[in-house]
Amino acid sequence: MTALEELNRTILLCRDFVVDDLCDEEICRRFQSVKVLCVSDRHNLSSHSGQTALITLVSLLGRMGIPVWVRIPEVAMLLPQPPLSGSCVRAALIASSETLVAGATVCGDSNLNPDLTFVLGDTMVDSGHPSWRLSGSDWYGALTMEKSAALQAWTTEWPIGSMVSAALAANEAFKFVMRQLPLRSPADQIFFEPSRFCDWNFDSVPVPEEGVHFGEVDIISAGAICQAALYALLRLPKVQMWGRIFDDDLTGASNLNRNMLTLVTDIDSKKVLVVAQRCGTNLRLEAVSNRFAGKASEGGKLAPRVVVGVDDIPSRWEAQRCAPGWLAVSGTSHFSISSSAHSLGEPCSGCLHPVDDPAAANPIPTVSFVSFWAGLAMTVRLLREALGSPYSSDRQHLWLTPLRMDQPHAAMWLPVASRRDCPVDCLASQRLYLRTRGAERRA
Amino acid sequence: MTVDVEKKIVVEIVYNGVTKSLHAEPEEQVAALLQKAIAIFGITQNPHLLSLFKQDGTVVPEHESIERAGIKPGEILLLRPNAVKGGGERLRVEKDIVPTTFRALQECGRGECECAVYWTGPAEGDLVNSFEHPLHKRSPYGYEVDDSWLTEFWKRLAASRRSIKVQVHTHPGEAFHSETDNEWPIVSQVGFVSIVIPDFASGEPSLDSAWVGCLQADGKWRRLASATEALIPA
Repeated sequence: MTALEELNRTILLCRDFVVDDLCDEEICRRFQSVKVLCVSDRHNLSSHSGQTALITLVSLLGRMGIPVWVRIPEVAMLLPQPPLSGSCVRAALIASSETLVAGATVCGDSNLNPDLTFVLGDTMVDSGHPSWRLSGSDWYGALTMEKSAALQAWTTEWPIGSMVSAALAANEAFKFVMRQLPLRSPADQIFFEPSRFCDWNFDSVPVPEEGVHFGEVDIISAGAICQAALYALLRLPKVQMWGRIFDDDLTGASNLNRNMLTLVTDIDSKKVLVVAQRCGTNLRLEAVSNRFAGKASEGGKLAPRVVVGVDDIPSRWEAQRCAPGWLAVSGTSHFSISSSAHSLGEPCSGCLHPVDDPAAANPIPTVSFVSFWAGLAMTVRLLREALGSPYSSDRQHLWLTPLRMDQPHAAMWLPVASRRDCPVDCLASQRLYLRTRGAERRA
Repeated sequence: MTVDVEKKIVVEIVYNGVTKSLHAEPEEQVAALLQKAIAIFGITQNPHLLSLFKQDGTVVPEHESIERAGIKPGEILLLRPNAVKGGGERLRVEKDIVPTTFRALQECGRGECECAVYWTGPAEGDLVNSFEHPLHKRSPYGYEVDDSWLTEFWKRLAASRRSIKVQVHTHPGEAFHSETDNEWPIVSQVGFVSIVIPDFASGEPSLDSAWVGCLQADGKWRRLASATEALIPA
């Protein structure tokens, strides 16, 4: 397999803006020729959050085909970081070289003159180059172009904020490449301008010391979004979950640009088997090598909690019809993500996605950090649901475009409006129908 | 003496996370606002799939005026893809629409020029109960609708809470959708129906030999096997 095949969907996404006569090979080459340096001191790398920030960033960069150099001390891995293996962070990262995407090397630093430098927390650096700093806390992540006195070291165990900061950083690397490419319209440059400071807060909720027990959760799809969600779940300390994962698909080369639990060696393997294997014992998933087929199928009765990452909209409706309780859906649309959760009685995923989109059957343009945001947002919803602190109804839907997270409306929390013509015919839509029919009769 | 009162409002359009301001008039159609929003962001990839969404999660109805759609000055509207545009419901056409359409096309085209009409109905719903014959330039090879008439027409539609359901035009010979027809429908909404009538509509008032097509989510037109796929008698 070649990087060109593996980065096919990323290249397709770039084509939203890049001039038509630039060939795929040239776009691919631009990603592969960026030199990124990641720097951390021992202190910042001695926490699970710091380790997760670095490993997630290197993974997201690698899945764009970008080679990475690491200037970090060797430290013991505090918690497992699948699909990476090994007991030490530096060795595991270097061993991951070219295992995510062909050509995406990870090397130790040897007097590199980088194009971009990412620095963890309050690590001191003496480089003359401008650098980006990843900082944050349990549920909050930030990226800053210059060192500020307020920056803290990564010291916490809870890693949601660190994964946010990694996703913010990966986005800046992507935009750096896009700025080197000729765009169809000069006006589009606004989407790829660097963000001097950007952040995102999923808002903290207390997590019990004994950890989080999710109980039974069914997962519809073993594709990019569910893999990102599970990647995030696997990094949460002291969590337990069991359930099933449904998917009939094999891993293809073009999945490597975003499937966060997948390695080059997994090509042609069943996605569900790859995921179930990487999830290990704390997240016990039974691999079901079939597409979820709804009530008529053997697996028609779903768990009390369901997460859905399929692009196919009728499959989302079927999952919603079969879900006895809570259901979350995440999806991507070019550079944006849509993430929502639906409890019984609330407007359902059919209300939010009411009509099939035939375009979804075509190859979908995607990039690692966008799919990752979709999965991370879904994991946070699952977490909050399990902790009894779901987002309020005015935050039932999140529409987030990570390109310019420095902009005030890059992410919008929205309610979901129930629809009379909901294809799932959910309770909320039935209530609306009765209410509006009554009003029509009175009129 | 008359005093012109400035009625323009400013709305904020968010696309790909970036916000831009747009000026609009309260009586302007949302469809026109949507086109302006697509234009200021220079969107060329599947613009017909985009809709405007309010912060309450509802899609802004395109066939309403800005005022009737409840858009307030300073309101933030999210421009994003909308699978809702799939359409799929058949239109209910009142029985005199087809014969009166043919009559208008024949009288205007006189068997030698192309002509067009727009079928309209209440904005909310699937009923076609009237048509408009636009002011247009005509020739044997095409027609060109007058810009001022079109602007006035949009305003009338907004004021009367009606919308264009179908565009109908004639061809000199065979009925088909030309490149121009593909590129420039009066409404670029998925599910919008276009009808082309052959032979300058000189035949019997029937859609049996017409080309009937429907705009798809990928921006292409799909020819329907017959008019009954899209239209039923009211």
